[in-house]
Amino acid sequence: MARILLVDDEGALRVTLAANLELDGMEVEEAESGERALELLRSAPFDLMLSDIRMSGMSGKELFQRAKELRPEMPVVLMTAFALEDIVREVLRNGVFAVLPKPFDVGHLSRTVQRALRRPAVLVVDDHEDQARSTAAALRAIGLRVESISDGAGALRAIEDRPIDICIVDLVMPGMSGAEVVERLRWSRTDITAIVVSDYVVPELMQRAAANGAFACLCKPVAADELAQVVAEARGRADLRSAAVRAR
Amino acid sequence: MESRTRELLDEHMRENYRKTSRVFSILLAAQWVFGILLAVVISPRSWAGLASATHVHIYAAVFLGGAITSLPLYLTLTRPESLATRLIVGVAQMLWSALLIHLTGGRIETHFHVFGSLAFLAFYRDWKVLLVATVVVASDHLLRGIFWPESVYGIADPAWWRFLEHAAWVVFEDVVLVFACFRGIDEMRSIARQRTELEKTFAELERTHQIVTRTEKLAAVGQLAASVGHELRNPLTAIRNAHAYISKRVLKSNAASDARTVQFLGLQEREIHACNRIISDLLDFARERPLDLRPCPLRPLIEEAFSVVTARDGVDLVNEVPADLPVPALDKDQFRQVLVNLVQNAVEAMPAGRAGTVRVSAAGSAGDRWRIAVIDDGAGIAPELHARIFEPLFTTKSKGTGLGLAVVATMLKRHGCSISVKSEIGRGTEFAIEIPLQTPSAAAA
Repeated sequence: MARILLVDDEGALRVTLAANLELDGMEVEEAESGERALELLRSAPFDLMLSDIRMSGMSGKELFQRAKELRPEMPVVLMTAFALEDIVREVLRNGVFAVLPKPFDVGHLSRTVQRALRRPAVLVVDDHEDQARSTAAALRAIGLRVESISDGAGALRAIEDRPIDICIVDLVMPGMSGAEVVERLRWSRTDITAIVVSDYVVPELMQRAAANGAFACLCKPVAADELAQVVAEARGRADLRSAAVRAR
Repeated sequence: MESRTRELLDEHMRENYRKTSRVFSILLAAQWVFGILLAVVISPRSWAGLASATHVHIYAAVFLGGAITSLPLYLTLTRPESLATRLIVGVAQMLWSALLIHLTGGRIETHFHVFGSLAFLAFYRDWKVLLVATVVVASDHLLRGIFWPESVYGIADPAWWRFLEHAAWVVFEDVVLVFACFRGIDEMRSIARQRTELEKTFAELERTHQIVTRTEKLAAVGQLAASVGHELRNPLTAIRNAHAYISKRVLKSNAASDARTVQFLGLQEREIHACNRIISDLLDFARERPLDLRPCPLRPLIEEAFSVVTARDGVDLVNEVPADLPVPALDKDQFRQVLVNLVQNAVEAMPAGRAGTVRVSAAGSAGDRWRIAVIDDGAGIAPELHARIFEPLFTTKSKGTGLGLAVVATMLKRHGCSISVKSEIGRGTEFAIEIPLQTPSAAAA
């Protein structure tokens, strides 16, 4: 049973959220402050920490930084009711798994938590092998799980037996292009989100990638922390289509 | 600007004509009275034997003076601004000089009345008046000087050059006065110009003030919206969590057999979602989010927007963006929101029960402007509302926060884009977004 540390100074929110997570079969430990959460973290390991950002006393951001030192392997999901754009950007660039804006849909939160618990990896696909490796190393330094590979066909094989949820793929590659990888993923693996990077804008390929659900297109050179931010944004995103269906 | 200056100058000149005419009304009447007194004092009665009769000068002063005075007096009172009035006043004033000179028996000192009158006439600041007056006084001098010299010079045989001497002095004064007239008009013109500039500056100031007030109002609305929105989010999340938990529990239990319970749980969820949407709109409007400009293919973006829009039966959504359109750099999330709001509005613009089409088209290329148009064939927007639809809290819908288009305008402004609206009642509406030429750093080059 997954052990989750839930941190929020809003009692009503914490209690109701814990109840839902427990309903999904998780073991939830509640903390009403960052200080209390750190105490709990020191005494026992958790599989995941879910924390609010704006709290009286220690903020979620500070708690995340301290927790990262204590338990570097533990994924952290943050929530916020406030538009703390700068803080959100900063934590996303420093290895937070995802930030969920309140009020979230409980189902979406639950799916995000499940995804984080699987400890998924990012696959970097680039025909320049050294570039693929250096990108992977930089993302790893931020705290993400990363693998790298230098061709599209290899990438499609790699996702078969590894827990990969994000594919960062170079748009222009010899053999199978990035756009084609995105298209194949769309039909075979809906659980994998594609992010496209490219040295230059190739409209046809970019249109094709975007039309097949690429989450974002980025122009090289992409800083590792920006890439980490986009990965975390992709992981925290609610599925637009299902959100729209619910709205009806 | 130039026309306003002319208008002000004109107004100023007319005012000057009015004032000067008023002065002449008094002057002409006073001259008449003075002329009669003069005639009575200098030559009251002449004696012819035992019979005494009123001297002909007195009749001249009363009747001739009356004839000279009455028409200009009437005109200065009734038409003080007209050119005819001024010219007739000029003629009358000179005739009065002539009469007074005659009544005083051609005294040389009375000739000063001519100079004084010319100076008064110069108040009109109109050289034409001085010209006419000069012609009149000169002809009078010339003719009377020839036929009745005593009446002008007081003696029967003046030197032949006396007329020229008098005329020279009059011309000398005229030159000075005409010069003064032109200078006066120049001054009036420069005052008018300054006033025009002042008026313009003032109008600009007023406009700026209005913009500032409006901006402040918007900022206040934004701040209020943001703080209320944020404060509502935590409780709303707790409600949503509690609702999710209760729903799951109830739907598994016996209570699920009660149709009302199930129905109300669904209703609760929808209403919570509606609250959430209002808050999101408010925060979208207030939030200053930094732009994440990245290459963003438009056709798929519009597909995404279509998938989020609440559809309506009979309303078709058509994506007309060519698949090979070049790719601009945009903040994808914010631009999707812009398109969702515009398309949603377009869908809702269809009169109930009528079929319709919402089309989205786009054109542009790197190094050029981009243009995205959202076109519907719905009810249209009345022209007088075009300026107001982008104002926050303005809505024509019975159910709406009035923030949809305000959010659109704010987000586009952050992108440096402009939006324009063309609409015809009953025919439909077109919203056109213009994305400016992108700087090399922003464009995905």
